[in-house]
Amino acid sequence: MTALPGPVLITSTAVTGLVVLLLLSVGGAHLARRRRERRDLARRAELTPLVYTLLDGEQTAASLADAPAVLDEVVLHLLPQLRGNDRQVLRDLLLARGVVDRAAEQLSARAPWRRGRAAMLLGATGSTRYTPDLVTLLEDRSSDVRSAATRALGKAGDVAAVPYLLASLGSARPVPSGIVGMALLDLGTAALPALRSALESGAAPARATAASLLGLHGDLPAVAALTTTLDDAGAPTEVRLAAAGALGRIGAPQAADALARATVLAVDPALRATAAEALGRIGDPDSVPALAAGMTAADLRVRTACADALASIVPEGRARLGLLGASAGPAAPVARAALDAVSADSPRALAGAR
Amino acid sequence: MSDLLLDALQPLLNVLMSEFLLDVLLVSGWVLTGHVALFHLVTLLLVLAGARRVWRNRHWRGVEGHDETFASPLTPAVSILVPAHDEEAGILDTLSAALGQKYPALEVVLVDDGSTDRTFALVAERYALREVTPRPTADLPVDGEILSVHRATTGDPLLVIRKTSVGRRSDALNAALNHARHPLVCMVDADSLLETEALLQVSRPFVEDPDQVVASGGVIRAANGARTDRGTILEPRLSRRWVVRVQVLEYLRSFLLGRTGWADAQALLIISGAFGLFRRDVVLEVGGMDPLSLAEDAELVVTIQEHLRRNRRPHRVVFVPQTVCWTEVPESWTVLGRQRTRWSHGLAQLLWKHRRMIGNPRYGPIGLLAMPFFLLFELLGPVFELVGVAGVLASMAVGQVPPAVAGALLVLAIALGVLLSATAIAVEELTYHRYGRGRDLLALMGTAVVEHLWFRWAHSWYRLCGLGAALAGRSPVWTAMPRVGFSAEPAPAERLVPVGP
Repeated sequence: MTALPGPVLITSTAVTGLVVLLLLSVGGAHLARRRRERRDLARRAELTPLVYTLLDGEQTAASLADAPAVLDEVVLHLLPQLRGNDRQVLRDLLLARGVVDRAAEQLSARAPWRRGRAAMLLGATGSTRYTPDLVTLLEDRSSDVRSAATRALGKAGDVAAVPYLLASLGSARPVPSGIVGMALLDLGTAALPALRSALESGAAPARATAASLLGLHGDLPAVAALTTTLDDAGAPTEVRLAAAGALGRIGAPQAADALARATVLAVDPALRATAAEALGRIGDPDSVPALAAGMTAADLRVRTACADALASIVPEGRARLGLLGASAGPAAPVARAALDAVSADSPRALAGAR
Repeated sequence: MSDLLLDALQPLLNVLMSEFLLDVLLVSGWVLTGHVALFHLVTLLLVLAGARRVWRNRHWRGVEGHDETFASPLTPAVSILVPAHDEEAGILDTLSAALGQKYPALEVVLVDDGSTDRTFALVAERYALREVTPRPTADLPVDGEILSVHRATTGDPLLVIRKTSVGRRSDALNAALNHARHPLVCMVDADSLLETEALLQVSRPFVEDPDQVVASGGVIRAANGARTDRGTILEPRLSRRWVVRVQVLEYLRSFLLGRTGWADAQALLIISGAFGLFRRDVVLEVGGMDPLSLAEDAELVVTIQEHLRRNRRPHRVVFVPQTVCWTEVPESWTVLGRQRTRWSHGLAQLLWKHRRMIGNPRYGPIGLLAMPFFLLFELLGPVFELVGVAGVLASMAVGQVPPAVAGALLVLAIALGVLLSATAIAVEELTYHRYGRGRDLLALMGTAVVEHLWFRWAHSWYRLCGLGAALAGRSPVWTAMPRVGFSAEPAPAERLVPVGP
């Protein structure tokens, strides 16, 4: 160990120097940041009124073509909040300032964040011109970029992207289902035909996503396919769960029989509970016997879901809950609690009355 | 005869013994050097990985899509679970922050775990609580007796469960899990303040990847010293107490860099109990919180990952470094010591319980990287440090190691430690820069140097005590931390506390 001091001292000196350099840089960065923030704030205060005058038609996009770069940030911040002509005016301004062209060039940049930010910017402009480029980015090696491209496709509003978005769920470089779902929701009802096809013929993740989105759209024409999916015992559980939830959201009484069967006969407790919740949303009095049968389930989640569903079927369901609450057995406390939650003096009712 | 033999051999024995002792001292010196070098090398790699991730995230700021997450019907509802025992000092602020979250669908489940102060009375008065029939949705075992369940009548989605305390936070959390109704559960300490968008940020991974994400956590920062108003941090400030400052720095290192690095390596072992979001069905699947663990937060994360890996179910545990929960950290050495002893005891319990994961490739980066690291450097680290330092001192005493060598090694160890802290401060300033005042930044820089004079050694001692308690098989003891609460302005009596434990 006696041979150590030389190298150790050199290393210590180097590390200490590095520390001092780092701390000095931190101090410098702190001061520079504060100065930059003050300057940007002042510039924003100057430029924001100019953007409003542009929206009011008192200025032209060309007159702002040479304004400082902070203007682009102001415009990009405002863009998602606007619709119609105002949005078009800001889009034209970004085009006039070359922001859109620069973003298009950045789609093939080396740094993932540049590709991702460029995709987001192009999506925010709502232009369908770059859809093929954004679709290509759905296979990007960076997951962040794939997600950004997916969001951008949703914002751009080009329905032609729907099949690619659904395919991206099962790709070798997949995009998470939640991001695809949000993008498809952004595309609105125009995506419904593609979603109906995906429900019947897609891979499991695409089918589950399609079922959830059809439910969120309240798509009545999809009820038959959703019911078939729910009844298909060979379908993956995630797909059947999504179908049950969707049928509840749509509120289609014609699906009540299939949901009642799932509530009573399904093996998976989560599916039984979801089916019971859906029956509660539909509110069909014919579902009361199935829900009462579900109240004898061993799984507490199923019993609770059935009780809540019965409580929302007035008056038949609540009457059955009253009987169950007065009986002995595991259903009684759950039934009493569900009735208590919807009673006239429940906190929720009291809050609503205020 | 034998005495004569002994007398004859005595000089030889003396030589052998002294040589043996010298060898022991030499080995202990090398062991200490090796341990310090390896620890700093691994930590430096972690810090670099964490800094890289935080730096990358910086480029994406502003386009994360939080508004879309807020507006999306796909965003799952969250139950915020708050276990509270004698939390009258800050419970209303904590509830204000939780109920004031910018999130589309949430409920707060507060468990008054046998409080002996005015915790329940304050909440009952503020939210006009009304007793309701309990509606459990799960049946995890709870040792304490559920006394009553209440709902707010003010329109706030607040459920309050009163139960008898068995002295364990995990028991209160299991009671809350039984009554939570939403698919995600967020565990928050009763002395913590969530930033308004914290839930939205930490839930984003669940919205985006609902099939694989099972848990996510955010950054915890010390609220002591900050200016607050009704559960909102108006201005983060650094406390004047050194014991708090070193914890601020420690949290920066641990959360901003360490956990980000571990998460990047798919080996995140801990999501803080002060703020973590989990899929409720998965938590129920593994049986809820371990009732006997002293590190129930880490225990839950490890148990979930062990369960899912064993069943070959793809999953992700995520860390979101921009999400912030402000919490009250110990303001006295006694309380800090108790807390750290308990953490170390809990870590020992955890590593022993999941010992078959250590070094086991079946458990991926968790088994191969995280658990050996926590065993070698977190649990056994103080043993290496204190025994090694004792060895070096003894070597100096017998003249085997010149003071210059020992001094040089000490300086190097401290310099490396300061380098790690300085990196954390640099990343904080270049990315999130929560501390706007220059003087806070300067104080943090000073703390980076000062902590090595005493905190590091005191901390090692507390951890050693925790390890000792675990080895002695002492019963787990969950001690309550005295609360100061959050104040609108720093207390006027607050003064610079002298350095020293």
